[in-house]
Amino acid sequence: MLRMPEFEVHRPSTAADAVRLRSQLPDAMYVAGGTDLLPNLKHHLHAPKHLVSLARVEGLSGILRAGDGTLRLGATTSLHAIATDEVLRAEVPGLAKAASLVAGPQHRRMGTIGGNVLLDTRCLFYNQSLPWRRALGSCLKSEGTWCHVIGSDKSCVAAQSSDTVPMLVALDASIEVTLPDGSTETIALAGLWTKDGRFERNRNLPPEALLTAVVIPPRAAGHRSTYRKVRARQAIDFPQVGVAVAAGFDGDRLSSLAVVVGAMLPHPKRLDHDDVAGRPLDDALVEHVAERAYKQVRPQPQVHGDPGWRRELARVETRRALRELLPG
Amino acid sequence: MKQVLHLQVNGEDVEVAAPPHWTLLEVLRYGLGLTGSKQGCDKGDCGACTVLVDGEPVLACCTLAAATEGSGIRTVEGLADKGGPSRVQRAFDACGALQCGFCQPGMIVSATALLERNPDPSLAEVKQALSGNLCRCTGYTKIFDAVLAAAKDRVPGMRADGSVPMAYGTPTDGFRYVGARGRKADAIGKATGSAKYTDDLTLPRMAHGRILRSPHAHARIRSIDTSRAEALPGVFAVVTGAEMPHAFCVIPWTPDEHALAVDKVRYVGDGVAAVAAVDEDTADRALALIDVDYEVLDAVLSPTEAEAPGAPLVHDRDWKDRPRQDNVCKEVELAFGDVDGALKDAAVVVDGEWHYSGSTHAAIEPHCALAEWSADGDLTLWSSTQVMHYLHRELARVLDVPEAKIRVVQPVLGGAFGGKSEPFDLEFCAAALARKAGRPVKILYTREEVFYAHRGRHPMDFRFRIAADAQGHVTAVDNDIVLDGGAYHSFGLVTTYYAGQLLPGPIRFGTYRFKSRRVYTNKPCCGPKRGHGSVQPRFPLETALDEVAEKLGLDPIEIRRRNAMRAGEHTVNGQLVPSCGVLGCLDAVEAASGWKQRHGKLPFGRGLGVATSMYISGTAYPIYPNEMPQSGVQILADRSGRLTVFTGTNDIGQGSSGAIAFVVAEETGIHPDQIRVIAGDTDLTPVDLGSYSSRVTYMAGLAAQEAGRAMRDVMVRAAAKHWDTTPSDILVLPGKYLLISDPEKQLDTAHVLRLAEALLGTPVSTGGGYRTRKLGGDYRGGTIGASPAYSATAHVAEVCVDTETGHVKVERIWAAHDCGRALNPVMVEGQIEGSVYMGMSEAVLEDQAFHLGMEKRRAMPGRDRTRGMHIGPNLLDYRIATSLDTPDIDAFVVESVDPGGPYGAKEAGEGPLHPAIPAVANAIWDAVGIRMRTMPFTPERVLAALRAGAAEVA
Repeated sequence: MLRMPEFEVHRPSTAADAVRLRSQLPDAMYVAGGTDLLPNLKHHLHAPKHLVSLARVEGLSGILRAGDGTLRLGATTSLHAIATDEVLRAEVPGLAKAASLVAGPQHRRMGTIGGNVLLDTRCLFYNQSLPWRRALGSCLKSEGTWCHVIGSDKSCVAAQSSDTVPMLVALDASIEVTLPDGSTETIALAGLWTKDGRFERNRNLPPEALLTAVVIPPRAAGHRSTYRKVRARQAIDFPQVGVAVAAGFDGDRLSSLAVVVGAMLPHPKRLDHDDVAGRPLDDALVEHVAERAYKQVRPQPQVHGDPGWRRELARVETRRALRELLPG
Repeated sequence: MKQVLHLQVNGEDVEVAAPPHWTLLEVLRYGLGLTGSKQGCDKGDCGACTVLVDGEPVLACCTLAAATEGSGIRTVEGLADKGGPSRVQRAFDACGALQCGFCQPGMIVSATALLERNPDPSLAEVKQALSGNLCRCTGYTKIFDAVLAAAKDRVPGMRADGSVPMAYGTPTDGFRYVGARGRKADAIGKATGSAKYTDDLTLPRMAHGRILRSPHAHARIRSIDTSRAEALPGVFAVVTGAEMPHAFCVIPWTPDEHALAVDKVRYVGDGVAAVAAVDEDTADRALALIDVDYEVLDAVLSPTEAEAPGAPLVHDRDWKDRPRQDNVCKEVELAFGDVDGALKDAAVVVDGEWHYSGSTHAAIEPHCALAEWSADGDLTLWSSTQVMHYLHRELARVLDVPEAKIRVVQPVLGGAFGGKSEPFDLEFCAAALARKAGRPVKILYTREEVFYAHRGRHPMDFRFRIAADAQGHVTAVDNDIVLDGGAYHSFGLVTTYYAGQLLPGPIRFGTYRFKSRRVYTNKPCCGPKRGHGSVQPRFPLETALDEVAEKLGLDPIEIRRRNAMRAGEHTVNGQLVPSCGVLGCLDAVEAASGWKQRHGKLPFGRGLGVATSMYISGTAYPIYPNEMPQSGVQILADRSGRLTVFTGTNDIGQGSSGAIAFVVAEETGIHPDQIRVIAGDTDLTPVDLGSYSSRVTYMAGLAAQEAGRAMRDVMVRAAAKHWDTTPSDILVLPGKYLLISDPEKQLDTAHVLRLAEALLGTPVSTGGGYRTRKLGGDYRGGTIGASPAYSATAHVAEVCVDTETGHVKVERIWAAHDCGRALNPVMVEGQIEGSVYMGMSEAVLEDQAFHLGMEKRRAMPGRDRTRGMHIGPNLLDYRIATSLDTPDIDAFVVESVDPGGPYGAKEAGEGPLHPAIPAVANAIWDAVGIRMRTMPFTPERVLAALRAGAAEVA
């Protein structure tokens, strides 16, 4: 079988211990569900000497709803739990749907919401075995100096490939993190990513920080949300295009709208569009936003699928996602 | 280094010491010997390793073992109820859900988890719950049946005690067992995790082998220095190509391949050196210490590049050591009748270019070989092979050891589809390393290596012309074919012929001409995949025939009826077709699909398409000319009433051992429950040439029939003597022999066997064989494509095309297949369903694709090292359909009763794949009015074609 690098495993029972271990041990990494990290370790994309397992950390799992509607998702809550939770299905249907579309059933039982938020970016030249990458001469994101996707020695365009991230950004979610000094901080999710797809450069977050929860603020009145995923197969595959929409409705008029496109760039892309307040979600508005999706997202051949086609699909799926919000 | 884990595994508390970097799958398989959980991809892409951790189905290959400390684990071995397999396991067996069985432990764990939380799931819920478990054999159809049968407690054939007899259905009229629905010979062991596949075997002192592979698509090896690897502690042996200088090939007169490269490497992934070490980690470290000095050469990655003037030669010399002038591996040109005249006189001609992309087998079991030498210098090699006999011969050649010193054993095999039908480097390397290391050596391919071993479907380019008269009769077919062969010959000359020779039928051609040229390229070697060489040309034929029908205003089924061959006809290229049920197949799918009411009348975006095919039941002649039988079967009777049947066939999941048991049961009257089939061991079993070209049911079936008849003759004589009567006074019934003149007198078959042994005074043993018959056209190449019988198939596919995205959803396929006679209809249906699945998946999803070079602005400064790299050698990037992508499949068995086959049986394993691709293409035409001539029918291509409003896309 494929070999992982040799490491030690630590199983702390508190978040504070986890952060301390991660900070003190050389070459350490966190591991929760492992569905992203273990294949990457089998590819020798990282060479940790220590893994800090979050499996035993108490208080890290579970879904809480505060009286004001704030939703707090413990970082190690499984994607299956997110997808099937009755409160989430009723209050943030787009998130439950996004979680239900991640990979396959086993991945959703193993994989956690925290892990899905911090999913490493993906690329056809990166998610490959060590012998494969060596034959290639490696890439900017792994051991090399060249991005084979765009032909550059400066920028990595590996794609943000989480299904829940676009939806959480559309929901204005934030994350709670415990920092190496033991303090905790709440960070707006939308600002977490950089435009560089490289592993440690992709996030505005120290690598020792421990994500402990995802927090979704109270939704606008008349909240509706959905997520649409394009993939070659109806299970297992990562997204080729992901479109998340969240809207507030006052009767048949919009009060707010957030549309976030994923799987195209190293970061989720929130679309700029005209002010929607007070407007009905009519064909003209749908076409306006769909056109913005096409204009504002220029994918590269970093993942499966012709980039021109994926760009076109961003338009089509944005249109469809918006239409899903209409009653009936 | 190791740490102790405390787990509760299948209800037992266990302590196991394991390195912290092991996965749960390694702890289960290596640490606890629980080999029921399988490794198919090792990266969470296939689901074969699914186990329950604290009740949740998880992927053991991606679960850190250390993180499961204190958890409760349930594996497939722990699902059995007290007293036997669980109802889910029984249902999988009885419903025919187990073919190769390799994915099934994971599948059964997922199904069990579903039923434990939802005892009465809908079909949609079953499909969803199993969507992370890939199956390559069944098309999922019988898996869904099994889960629902278990839920409803309606397991077919189940007795009060929970067991299911081997034959539980009603036999066909006039037969004792033939035609009865039944189980497979070895399936329940697969369902419970006890069946031993090659990688499940472990020997004392066994070392692990690994192969170093080329990082270059084309390079000369200047030198290899293995000294640093040899010096690494824990390394037992290192071998290079220089130690195995004899070239080999499955076709004995075209050896162009070495166990490991001797002078050049010819694709990224070509084997260069191999090591055996104390464990896999050490072997990996040793590979990194082998220094290879390469002189990188320009590579050719397509036939166009390979045939360009001045192109580098993939092989400098041919197999007779003559210098090569070009990269053409094999070229064939044959013509039958006045093609040009027919084209000139035709009422309609369709003329165009088609492109068939490459695809690979993707059996869920990766190749594995285990070698051990005795002190006397005798080699035993266990291997996941489907051609044990040919492997036996090539091992002797490459290892320089007499065949008599070699024993090849094929353990339970986890899917093949042609991908294990020739020798591979791991078999030679395991043997050579074991000899050098003085201890057993096992080599297991990584999934990536399976993609490099390949031997999958050849990409083919066609310039194809078809002509018809005003009534739609096909008057001419003219096909110019270029095959992209990859780096080596494999079955190349056969594939080159098959691309042309297998096309004429069941559609009758007035005249026919083909040119076929196989070209070497610097990519993994192509070879035989289910429907060897013949699936590809069906795509232009059957889609062009639709265009002819359209031009003539004929219904697509009607035009096929007008051209349908009849039993006893010869094809235009001189092959006798003794039976042909294509009309019955067309009738069946026309009626079931509602064709007359629906074709051409569905809303825009939805359509129906039809296609047909014909396929061989074995090749007429063995790969090496000889006068010996192509298949031998021996039967040995035991006083207990049991028969043991010895056959050299390789049961690769298709159920050949079960088919042979049914034949012997039919002949002797002994129930299949009392027949044990020993297959796939060159020391124990008579030669059979292997499980390829759909030859086993026909050829081994006839051999088993002959041996069974001989056994019955002895039994009848013994019963006659017992009753002091003549043999003609004995009637053989299921399970008993009866005296016709006094029907009250009956003997059970066990008693008759004891009488027979007493009568003979020796052990009761009989033999049978299939002997080569003279077949084929009377011209050079006329025997290639000759077969004693041909199957026929028709499909109707229903698709839904998303006109905004280009996605093609194959919603349903009705497939009728003429297998001559179904020995066990469950197995025949399983072959049809699995074929439909594989063809459908190939049509819309699969592509064995390589980086062909970057645009200048993207290419890395210096040499473009992407050229020749496989785009995604794993089961995430090479997409095979999941349970949610697979259409509803309706399989219909048509029985034309072939005059030469056992009880009229002929092949069922490969023919039913062919029509799926053109049927889907024709359905796309019916749905949205575009003609797809390039595979696969990806949404990008379909959307582009829709936008172009064109009749085709390049």
